Amino acid sequence: MAAPAASPSFLGLGPASRDPAAVRRRSRGSRNRKKSWKRWAGPEAQLGREIGDFLEDVALQQRATGGLIAEQPDEGLFFVDTGNAEKDRRLNKGKEKPLHVDLVLQPDSKVPAPKNILAHQIPNGRKEKRRREFWRRQEEKGVLPRAERRLRARLQRGGVPPPEKAPEKGRSDPERGFYDIWAADNPLERALAGQDGWFLQQTKKQRVKRPARLRTKPSQVPAVEVIAAGGSYNPTFEDHQALLLRAHEVEVRKKRAEDKVERQLSIPAGTQLPTAATVFQEQCEGLLEESGDEEDGEPPPAQPEDAPKPAPRREKKTEQQRRREKEARALACRQRREKAARCRRQEIFRLRSLRRQVKRWEAELLRRRQARLAKRRAKDALPRRLGRLKYEDPSLEVQLSDELAESLRTLKPEGSVLRDRFKSLQKRNLIEPRERAKFKRRYRLKYVEKRAFREVT
Amino acid sequence: MGGLEKKKYERGSATNYITRNRARKKLQLSLPDFRRLCILKGIYPHEPKHKKKVNKGSTAARTFYLLKDIKFLLHEPIVNKFREYKVFVRKLRKAYGKSEWSTVDRLKDNKPSYKLDHIVKERYPTFVDALRDLDDALSMCFLFSTFPRSGKCHVQTIQLCRRLAVEFLNYVIASRSLRKVFLSIKGIYYQAEVLGQPVTWITPYAFAHDHPTDVDYRVMATFTEFYTTLLGFVNFRLYQSLNLLYPPKIDGQADVELKPAEGKEYAMDSESYLEKLSALSASLARAVAPTHEDEVEMDEFPVEGETAEQLDARKKEQEALEKHKKLFEGLRFFLNREVPREPLAFIIRCFGGQVSWDKSLCIGATYDVSDPSITHQIVDRPRVERQVVGRYYLQPQWVFDSVNAKLCLPVADYFPGVLLPPHLSPFVTEQEGDYVPPEKLKLLAMQRGENPDEESEEEEEEEEEEEEDDNDKEEEEEEDESEKEEEMKLKKLEEQKTQSSKALPVKVTAGKVRLEDKQRLEQEQQSEEKRLAIMMMKKREKYLYKKIMFGKKRKVREANKLAAKRKAHDTAVKEEKKKSKKARRA
Repeated sequence: MAAPAASPSFLGLGPASRDPAAVRRRSRGSRNRKKSWKRWAGPEAQLGREIGDFLEDVALQQRATGGLIAEQPDEGLFFVDTGNAEKDRRLNKGKEKPLHVDLVLQPDSKVPAPKNILAHQIPNGRKEKRRREFWRRQEEKGVLPRAERRLRARLQRGGVPPPEKAPEKGRSDPERGFYDIWAADNPLERALAGQDGWFLQQTKKQRVKRPARLRTKPSQVPAVEVIAAGGSYNPTFEDHQALLLRAHEVEVRKKRAEDKVERQLSIPAGTQLPTAATVFQEQCEGLLEESGDEEDGEPPPAQPEDAPKPAPRREKKTEQQRRREKEARALACRQRREKAARCRRQEIFRLRSLRRQVKRWEAELLRRRQARLAKRRAKDALPRRLGRLKYEDPSLEVQLSDELAESLRTLKPEGSVLRDRFKSLQKRNLIEPRERAKFKRRYRLKYVEKRAFREVT
Repeated sequence: MGGLEKKKYERGSATNYITRNRARKKLQLSLPDFRRLCILKGIYPHEPKHKKKVNKGSTAARTFYLLKDIKFLLHEPIVNKFREYKVFVRKLRKAYGKSEWSTVDRLKDNKPSYKLDHIVKERYPTFVDALRDLDDALSMCFLFSTFPRSGKCHVQTIQLCRRLAVEFLNYVIASRSLRKVFLSIKGIYYQAEVLGQPVTWITPYAFAHDHPTDVDYRVMATFTEFYTTLLGFVNFRLYQSLNLLYPPKIDGQADVELKPAEGKEYAMDSESYLEKLSALSASLARAVAPTHEDEVEMDEFPVEGETAEQLDARKKEQEALEKHKKLFEGLRFFLNREVPREPLAFIIRCFGGQVSWDKSLCIGATYDVSDPSITHQIVDRPRVERQVVGRYYLQPQWVFDSVNAKLCLPVADYFPGVLLPPHLSPFVTEQEGDYVPPEKLKLLAMQRGENPDEESEEEEEEEEEEEEDDNDKEEEEEEDESEKEEEMKLKKLEEQKTQSSKALPVKVTAGKVRLEDKQRLEQEQQSEEKRLAIMMMKKREKYLYKKIMFGKKRKVREANKLAAKRKAHDTAVKEEKKKSKKARRA
């Protein structure tokens, strides 16, 4: 408890260091509650409170006057009051009461604020110093920092800023340059050339090798399929007819499918269409008594036809019959067995025919295998099913006989090369056929008539 | 009892496949981005063999990818770029929303972009691989280069496609590698032989666009994005193989010639470069001046297992090819303004001809209509008012047909106003027994160097002569102007006549009789042998043989039917012609 007393600037941890004013002077209160057990009491607390008071007082004096009042000279504390205002002013020159505005601007406390040490400290000073030393040492060796180097280079150029590098041309810039990508030292691989393969692989600098599987094309269809000879702008008669026939067949097939749907949806020829009267009749069905009777009358005759007829009853077999049947069965079984054994014995004389049979069977298997293979090949040539939609052949480009141009000048091109290319990509299984995404509006549009318009209309 | 219960769909094909949506989630990409990535990397959906197993018991049709493919995609650096781009767009939108224009500018300056060079190298490890896949790239680039500059795709892409297409055309001209052309109703098909690989592509006719709505432009643009990169690198390599400069430069000499003719008013300097290049009329500058040592014949080493006959055949083929390459050499063409300039100029230049057009039609015209050295003028009008003596006026189809026939066809069928012979497809090759149209037969005969039978054509020729007489009258008026040219033309006509008369083989009759006899004996013997062989056949083989023969016969029958049809059609047409002529006369 001596420490707090010795150095007044520290608040003690003990009970005495508490603010004495806050403590009630009731030395002994009731001790039945935990709260009252912790009251600061006793001689140590007393001493602490006194010291606290004292220190508080000193601090107050220092704040107010800048030192202890006791150490102040008299002149500092008092002024002469003679009763005569004139005289007083003369005597107390320099001790006039300062103006309120000046007082307000004075700091509250006379104790000078502690100095900010950090303001005088250089951040990272030691590090900087070490760096400076490092660069001095480097300079002795002839190595300069980058900024210095750039500055010097600029001085050498005559103070001109460095030439701006032209921005790299994009991949679809019409002015972009090309190089020999298949040469031994192309710019693409120059950076990594000559380095250890294992190192490059481990540091992921080397590109992953393209699997050999991807070298085969997904379809054997040629990229550019030349139109049939009939598609010439000035075709021979036969070629044109052949192409027309093909186009015609396609159309017929389409028409047939359409007709089928039509036929299935149409009403059969014999049926009678409902008239107003029949509709009314149907609606009234079951409500009127007469019609109800009719209905009841009809079903009973239908019922006996539908019900299955009971099987004709058989006479029960006699014991003798059963026995005979059983004997006949056994006999047949024995005969069969004997015949099979005989056949087996005879088989040895059938070796040639057996061999023939085996051969035939093998040939059959081979045929089947080849047919399967052919089927698979044929399927390979067809476009595959790659998505929700099936590939559909584009409509054949064909010009009718009267549409054919007489000369190149009057030729009217048919179809579109763009569509042809797109369909070709689909046919070669490079992209899956799909339909255009439909635009879906999330919220309904709200139409507002503008005021300006409303006035006009 | 032993072991754990095997769970369904945890092994086998169910684990080898992944649905599109799961793949998308695995890569953390949006669907358009995923689609784009797959196209760029050449990863395509896969149809599993047992759909029900893969689809965990459901039979709904879905898009599947191989799981290994998707795992391979995970390593692609572009995936990260896609994600970066997504963030970029988000930031940009936010900045726009807040009207922070400086932020917008900063973001735009640092827009993330990616390149496809490494993917090209990865997908086509060798140059030949790239050449084999060039069909698609070319077709797409030619298609996109004709697009209008509307909002359907980026203008930059269109420009790049145009540049690459023009570069490729110039390469084909320089290497003379065009082989076939086919004018179809859809577009023009070309086939070139680039370093031994046949490359086929289609170009649309100019101004033939209706933008179809059922085509996904985004997908097409993605394909084009990849193909432009591929074509650029291929072009570079092709130019290098011919020792040409890349990017192509017009030969200095030609450049000087062009300059005074066209003032600066035609186009801006930046534009006129591509325009001049796309005119296809000037040759390209070489990196090293061409040396004549290249033309020294190569030593020929017989390939192992090759007989002398095969060697001969190969040599003959080579010669024919060389001849084909020089088809139009020495000819000077002039294109009227109504004919499609670009394809014609391209084809004529590909076979060594010189070509020009009206100065106001396009940049790069080298000579005028009035140039007396022009040998062929391509016109596409029913009649030409003022004809200059000394040149042929021909319809454009002559050029295409000549290229396909590998010889300069007789010009009479292609005069303006004449009903053109059909334009045959060079991509069709008839098998034995197939029906061959008479036009093709005629052509084949001509290729063999024979003159086709003239009996059938006599009538037509008479008609034509009559028409020509009319023309001659007109021409006579202009005769005074250029007698020299007239002479030249006469000479040419004479030459043609001598050629035609040469081919009549009616001289050696006696030898022929003997020859036939021998042949017949031989034939008889052969047929006898064949009959015996058939007799000796096993039953099953005989059945198969009969079937094959029946199929062949059926084919022949069909061909005969078509021929008869054709004959009927021809007679009908002829009748009509005669009738109309009579009506005209009356």
